[in-house]
Amino acid sequence: MISRLRNNPLIKIAWVHLVSKKRQTIVAMLGVMFGVTVFIFQAGLLTGLQNYFIEKTVNTTAHIHIYNEVRAERPHVLDNVREYDATWKVVRNQKPRDEERRLRNGYQILRALERDPRVEGVAPYLGLQGIVRFGTAQQAATLAGVDIVREDQLFRVQENLIDGDMLRMQTIPNAIILGAGLADKLGVQVDDNIAIISSKGVVLDMKIVAVSKTGITAQDNTRAYISIRNAQRLLQQSGAYITDINVRLRDVNDAQAIATEYQARYQYRAEDWVAANANIFGVFRIQNITITFVIASILVVSGFGIFNILMTIIYEKMPDIAILKAMGYRNKDISTIFVIESLVIGITGGLLGLLLGFIASMIMSTIPLNIQGFVSVQYLTINFNPVFYLVAFGFALLSTAIAGYFPARKASRFDPVEIIRSR
Amino acid sequence: MTQEQPIIVAKHVSKIFTDPVEFRVLDDINLTVDRGEFVVLVGPSGSGKTTLMYALSTLDTEYEGTITVDGTDIKALNPNQLAQFRNTTIGFVFQFHYLLPDFTVLDNVSLPAIKAGLWSPEEIEERAMKNLTLLGVADQARKRSSRLSGGQQQRVAIARALMNNPKILFGDEPTGNLDTKNTALVLDILQDLKTEFHQTILMVTHDMQFTERADRVVAIRDGRIIQHEQQ
Ligand SMILES: Nc1ncnc2c1ncn2[C@@H]1O[C@H](COP(=O)(O)OP(=O)(O)O)[C@@H](O)[C@H]1O
Ligand SMILES: [Mg+2]
Repeated sequence: MISRLRNNPLIKIAWVHLVSKKRQTIVAMLGVMFGVTVFIFQAGLLTGLQNYFIEKTVNTTAHIHIYNEVRAERPHVLDNVREYDATWKVVRNQKPRDEERRLRNGYQILRALERDPRVEGVAPYLGLQGIVRFGTAQQAATLAGVDIVREDQLFRVQENLIDGDMLRMQTIPNAIILGAGLADKLGVQVDDNIAIISSKGVVLDMKIVAVSKTGITAQDNTRAYISIRNAQRLLQQSGAYITDINVRLRDVNDAQAIATEYQARYQYRAEDWVAANANIFGVFRIQNITITFVIASILVVSGFGIFNILMTIIYEKMPDIAILKAMGYRNKDISTIFVIESLVIGITGGLLGLLLGFIASMIMSTIPLNIQGFVSVQYLTINFNPVFYLVAFGFALLSTAIAGYFPARKASRFDPVEIIRSR
Repeated sequence: MTQEQPIIVAKHVSKIFTDPVEFRVLDDINLTVDRGEFVVLVGPSGSGKTTLMYALSTLDTEYEGTITVDGTDIKALNPNQLAQFRNTTIGFVFQFHYLLPDFTVLDNVSLPAIKAGLWSPEEIEERAMKNLTLLGVADQARKRSSRLSGGQQQRVAIARALMNNPKILFGDEPTGNLDTKNTALVLDILQDLKTEFHQTILMVTHDMQFTERADRVVAIRDGRIIQHEQQ
């Protein structure tokens, strides 16, 4: 004690102050700890889920999706005829034109894209809505006509299979892969035979060769893979008919720029994956803003805790401050005492919070949950990004420093004469 | 700066309090204290003794006129210089001891020396023990200061005031809370300091024992010096 006092009496004074207010000090530390714990836990949980979802999305959404955008709305026919006043407008109930969703030179584009060095893989797609029937059970489904090998290259189809074999799509002409939710609802499994029906009234008998589970509930409940040929048959179309091209890039971060380029070049809509999932990223942003406010308010409250205890100490220890000044300690020495006090609270509370946040996250990540929702997950994927730990600790120190600054400044400005006189 | 130059020179020092009403607490004070002199300041309560002591000891710089301590014009110093000047030149004993209650006696006494930064920890402890011995409280060194009796605490406060060999030792009724026996003890110590170490002492007191032993008694009334009485 004595040797430390000799080296720095300010540290010892700060220490003695905190020890003499043990309970309040601990409460203030707990406040900081709580803030940091919540920060780490919430940020880890939320971004873990978001990352999980983004990863799933990146694996199931094309980096670039090229399709023929059919606009439902179009200018009134009379707009093109001539200038008219309101009384002229007589044609009502104008239907959308029977525009083709077809990509006219789809396979040519496909081959051109394959030669682009920035592209890792390209997959054609022909999708339609249909009905899947098994005996009396029937379910609406999105029938995805794909080239299964290319599709796998883009979307890791094989990885998501929970049963069956993807490659039988190539050997069996009427093969179908069902989403797990869809298979469940129909009560079917691999090697069962089912029927699919299109809106054109075409019926095909299919054999289930595999069941797929991506974790994205909406997809697993509705999607079925069939061959492009079968999709064309369901739509009564010829062999060159495709509606979409999906592109996987070597670098996903180039998606937006390349999409813009393709859209200009091929005159079809080319949408990058971020734009395609804009609504989800919007939700993420709102989540992140909300959580930031929650955490900020906790840290503000813990800041008030520190402010409060320091003000109490300062008023109680005014005589100490006065005598230190009278014996030649500077204003800066006095404020140092209280800055040390707030830092001790902030650092201790912050470190405890980091530890507790880590432990809470660890525990959370090992509890099996089996959530079925937006996405289906068995365990929560918690993000243990060290940046959160740094930021949380940084924020704790910042709020502590701000909370400590004002009391420290106040103490340093006390006039010792006034204090000593008031005794 | 020669030895003959007075250690304190106060010229035309006036101070006015405006709160609650305008009130001239110090009124054209002129005072010179020589090196090694033992000066006692007396006067009725409210006459401005404490106010004058704070001004002379550099704690208060809000006044009219000039005060020169050891050749330095106090008002010319910035707050940091003032703190340093106080640390190295001035020792102050208040009516209350103002010891840090949770610190040991030794720690309390060491504080001014640590701030001065002139000595090693070992030297500081040695000095502290020497001063505590001088004041007769060396046996209390390792105790928490709050455990000591009032008389002991005040003696520790004097030991603390002497730590950096101050050029002037100020006391504002330092024996005001002590019984006669302890007062006599403190007085003996101060007398020894004066005779053995030529310590300059400026002290406010009501105690007749002091006025008898001082070199000079200065009487103050309504903020004015009314009498210099050379012993
Ligand atoms: N900060 C202040 N504001 C207004 N009046 C004050 C203040 N400090 C002291 N006084 C008044 O100044 C007068 C002198 O006070 P002081 O120097 O303490 O006298 P003494 O020490 O001789 O008893 C007293 O009347 C006191 O009430
Ligand atoms: Mg007084």
